[in-house]
Amino acid sequence: MKYDFAVIGAGPAGYIAAKKAASAGKKVLLVEKKKLGGVCLNEGCVPSKTLLQAAKTYRHAKHGSIFGVEVEGVSFDFPKAHQHKNNVMNKMRDGIAGLMKKYKVEVVEGEAKLLPNSQIEIDGEIHEATDILLCTGSSPAIPPIPGVDLEHVVDSTGILNRESLPDHLVVVGGGVIGCEFACMYASVGVKVTVLEAMSEICPNLDPEVSESLREGLTKKGVTFTLGAKVESISPDKVTYADESGSKEIESDLVLVATGRRPNTNDLGLEELGLDIEPRGGVRVDTRGATNIPGLWAAGDVTGRAWLAHAASRMAEVVVNNITGRKDHMRYDTMPAVVYTSPEVAVVGLTKEEAEERGIKVKVGRIPMAINARYIAENPDETGFCKVVLEADSRKLLGVHMVGGACSEMIFGATAMLETELREEEIEEIVFPHPTTSEIIKDVFMAVR
Amino acid sequence: MAEPIIMPRQGQSVESCILTEWKVNVGDQVAEGDILAVIETDKASFDLESTTSGSVLALFWEPDDDVPVLANVAVVGNEGDNFEEFRPDSDSSASEPTPTADASNTAPVPQTEAQQSTPVAASSVPVSVSSGGISAGVSPRARKLAFRHGIDPETLEGSGPNGRVIERDVEAVASGRPRLSASAVTQARNGMEPPLRGKGLAGMALSSDMKEPGAIEGAKVEPVKGIRKLVAERMIQSLQTSAQLTLNAHFELTAVLAYRKARVEAGKSKISINDLIAYAQIQALGAHPEMNAHFLGNRFAVFEKVHLGIAVDSPRGLMVPVVKDASDLSLEALSAEIKKLAIACRDGTIQPDDLSGGSCTLTNLGMLGVSTFTPVLNIPEVAILGVGGIELKPKRLESGEIEYADFLPLSLTIDHQAVDGAPAALFLQTLISQLEENPGQPLTTSNE
Repeated sequence: MKYDFAVIGAGPAGYIAAKKAASAGKKVLLVEKKKLGGVCLNEGCVPSKTLLQAAKTYRHAKHGSIFGVEVEGVSFDFPKAHQHKNNVMNKMRDGIAGLMKKYKVEVVEGEAKLLPNSQIEIDGEIHEATDILLCTGSSPAIPPIPGVDLEHVVDSTGILNRESLPDHLVVVGGGVIGCEFACMYASVGVKVTVLEAMSEICPNLDPEVSESLREGLTKKGVTFTLGAKVESISPDKVTYADESGSKEIESDLVLVATGRRPNTNDLGLEELGLDIEPRGGVRVDTRGATNIPGLWAAGDVTGRAWLAHAASRMAEVVVNNITGRKDHMRYDTMPAVVYTSPEVAVVGLTKEEAEERGIKVKVGRIPMAINARYIAENPDETGFCKVVLEADSRKLLGVHMVGGACSEMIFGATAMLETELREEEIEEIVFPHPTTSEIIKDVFMAVR
Repeated sequence: MAEPIIMPRQGQSVESCILTEWKVNVGDQVAEGDILAVIETDKASFDLESTTSGSVLALFWEPDDDVPVLANVAVVGNEGDNFEEFRPDSDSSASEPTPTADASNTAPVPQTEAQQSTPVAASSVPVSVSSGGISAGVSPRARKLAFRHGIDPETLEGSGPNGRVIERDVEAVASGRPRLSASAVTQARNGMEPPLRGKGLAGMALSSDMKEPGAIEGAKVEPVKGIRKLVAERMIQSLQTSAQLTLNAHFELTAVLAYRKARVEAGKSKISINDLIAYAQIQALGAHPEMNAHFLGNRFAVFEKVHLGIAVDSPRGLMVPVVKDASDLSLEALSAEIKKLAIACRDGTIQPDDLSGGSCTLTNLGMLGVSTFTPVLNIPEVAILGVGGIELKPKRLESGEIEYADFLPLSLTIDHQAVDGAPAALFLQTLISQLEENPGQPLTTSNE
């Protein structure tokens, strides 16, 4: 069969690209070897957020007394929470399937292999496409720790299928994924220890944000051990070494969350001569073009950003370029969120990144606690908002927030960055009162 | 009888019209109804028709002038009629009339110098006269168009009456300019220019896209000025207006080196190889005066004395100081003079008089590692001698044996308009034999 556009992988890059290209009149093929929605919908963002909401609801019920809400006999039914999670996933998957049907995208289940001359082999059948988008996503990267293949050792996919609560969850790796599961399990009363090899969790974030997140999660009951290198895992213990030597902690569930790696195997990429970076991602330019004409890549398979919304945007950029509209990625304005309690939401440059680029900056930071709405709703949480401005022009370069539901307001900061607003323009924007979003306006008072 | 043509009123609210283009010249014969000019209100453009027949006696405005309605724009009548009484009153509005009546027109009213100069001086582009910074607003048509293109018409520079933004201002922006981010707008006001498409949202120009006018991606652009501009003009003029032919030859350096050694041993002042070549060039020019000449198109100036130009690389660029009356100087005096002029060039103290009046030029790139090159004539001189770098070459002795010796390449460029190849070759022979046999000595041999 001959198509205009073939998409390999139906995650947040793939189905967005398929829909967009089809609505532009292209004949589109979408290939998926597992389930529509990819990791995001089936093993990542969506199920984890559903479980996090379950945990948050439990915590609110349990700690409602500050609001005068006294609830007796609160309990957490984990299988029921999983049921809700599964319902959400099914609903979203049906939504995608419906969308593909509506836009007349040909959806094929199977494993694709790329062949020369824009051909794709799917389970023995050969298809052809003028343009091909590779968006096969990523998988958890499992370090070679002795005992890592034991039954109670899981990755971020495996933990989502655990319907019983452990006594002590040990999380190996204090990145975004590790922190989210740590928060979720701690919220429902599980003892959680995070072992992070570096000196701070989430080292890609603004250092103050990482520190504040760690403190916020510590208050929720998560124990962090920094500078801890895991040496081995046994059926009931995790052995790690830190500065003071080798230590053991008991554990009946171990989550290995030490990062992800692009899915580039068994796709025929090497035979095709596709340029793959030393760290495993498919090398693309800012349009998503690979070194092979007509072959494009988007999402985690490029080893960049590792975010569902970034993958969707990359896919849009590719389709725009294919359909004759110039477009390219702007990673500097890519927001990122950690869906813990408190949440972390950031966009733009940190002070350190800006200074590394030789930009003179001014920084402002205020605690979330100055915001009326915030303290009314989050009496037990801390957090702050920090802005980075270009010193001379007072142009906004970055916004970094910890606290509450800041993920819901980071898009505002993203829009400000995309349009290069400066302090003087932002001052004229009206923020509804009382909302937590006012923090983005008020933080400018603290800039110096 | 002369009759004025007035700017018609194009509607109740129209106070003035832009005169876009004249369709006639002073002196043209026109009939009633003939189109004299194209005029434009903020709503549409119209043809301005002649209301009488005759000869065009005067056009009072320049294209792009903003002409008040009912003002006289032109005069049509019989050749020789007086039209001065119709000239618009110079202080009737902020816009000054510009007399464009052809100077050759037989204006019967003799103008004094003062009369003539005043209106000209006052005619500085009327549209730029703003009414105290108060915006003249945006025409409804312009506003509608701006809305369609997503342009803020309030940010545009208006070219209508008193800076009113009219349709064509919006068109100009919409056709060649992307939307600007808030920060980019500031830069645009400071004279920076956006590319056709920016790197921001949907092609929005970001501050990083803004460039100085005429900027080139990946390059530092500077205006060509000073010596560079002069050299550029002279070089292209030289290559475009003369028939340049270069003759190449080598001379053996043995005698020159021996002469210099002997001088040092005799305790005399140091003389450079270049000095000896200059000396020989002057002597050879004496023997071949047709080479010591200027070619002036229909005239040919052969100089009595040699005024030798010496190409010097100065921090400000190529300079060619001239040793005046060089043929009167001893070798020592010539050497001292060359040195003095070169230092003056490098120090920037050279006098303009010392940079002109040459009859022939010497240029030497040998010390910069150049083996041989094609000198460009310093027109109107008919010859320039280039010197390359020392080369070790074999030579056959009278005994038939082969021996190595140092040689210097010479490249003589002549203007073939003035000199033929053979006389130029003879000049080179004289020069070479002097350098190989009698360096630093008076010319005794004759090649005739």
